[in-house]
Amino acid sequence: MSNREENAMWSIFGYLLSGLLFWGGIGYGLDKWLGTAYLTLIGLLVGISGAIYLVWLRFGRQ
Amino acid sequence: MRDLLRSSSEGGGFVPPSSGDFELPPIFGDNVYTTKPIALVFLSVILISAFFIISSRKAAVVPSKLQFAGESVYTFVRNDLAKDVIGHDFLRFVPYLFTLFTFILVNNLFGIIPLLQFPTMSRVSFPYILALTVYLVFHYVGIRKQGAIKYFKEIMFMPGVPKAAYILITPLEILTFFLVRPLTLSLRLFANMFAGHLLLLVFILGGEHLLQGVIGLKLISPFAFAIGIVLTFFEFMVQCLQAYIFTLLAALYIAGALADEH
Repeated sequence: MSNREENAMWSIFGYLLSGLLFWGGIGYGLDKWLGTAYLTLIGLLVGISGAIYLVWLRFGRQ
Repeated sequence: MRDLLRSSSEGGGFVPPSSGDFELPPIFGDNVYTTKPIALVFLSVILISAFFIISSRKAAVVPSKLQFAGESVYTFVRNDLAKDVIGHDFLRFVPYLFTLFTFILVNNLFGIIPLLQFPTMSRVSFPYILALTVYLVFHYVGIRKQGAIKYFKEIMFMPGVPKAAYILITPLEILTFFLVRPLTLSLRLFANMFAGHLLLLVFILGGEHLLQGVIGLKLISPFAFAIGIVLTFFEFMVQCLQAYIFTLLAALYIAGALADEH
């Protein structure tokens, strides 16, 4: 595997992870606060789409 | 430690290896500083220094075998890691990357060297500190090169993105750069060494335990040892690869901090 691919792979992994952690975490916090149950899921979805969008911005568009 | 566990479970029930096997008692005295991992770290520093001092002491145009071995490691880090990744201005990072690579490599290899047989990096504090140095180096380099405001702005606001999207992606960029990167860097090294050591323990201690069983079990025991040996070679590969990946990612992070736009 070339250095460039290695970089892309771990960057993508990092973005996906932080996407899930951050927006999923906000959803979880809101769930706890408001007593609802669906905001964690929405947060995770928002996070993963944000991360994929970011990956596309960084590696997809040329 | 294991003998204690075994004798306490009289009747010969197999005690599977667990994370407790990584918490070694102090070699002497009664404190947390004289444990085997710490001794191994000191040993690694002595070994690395001795090797490279001896191999470069009588440097000649036609190198001896030892000098050749030392120089190949150096050339590998210098060209394949530093030069290829960082580009021009790579030379001042070579000492750091070289230290990082050899230090991690030797400490990983301790996992399969007979009698030592403990990968230092399977205690999570060591990878944490190494990742912390990488973290400090690449942010420092970025701030020095571009100025604090420009550096953080480049991280947080990627150019050519609609303004509304920043709400979605800026937190992710910040989290990736300041938390996920150092964390994954250290945990990847730690987890690989931890799991590898545990795997070897399972097969080799398991083989030993089978040997103490009835004749049918004795016959199976060689297979466990054989798998243990195969896995030892596999571990050797993983240990080299993890040292390489850690150094490579450190170089990539430095390169990213130096680049005008990443």
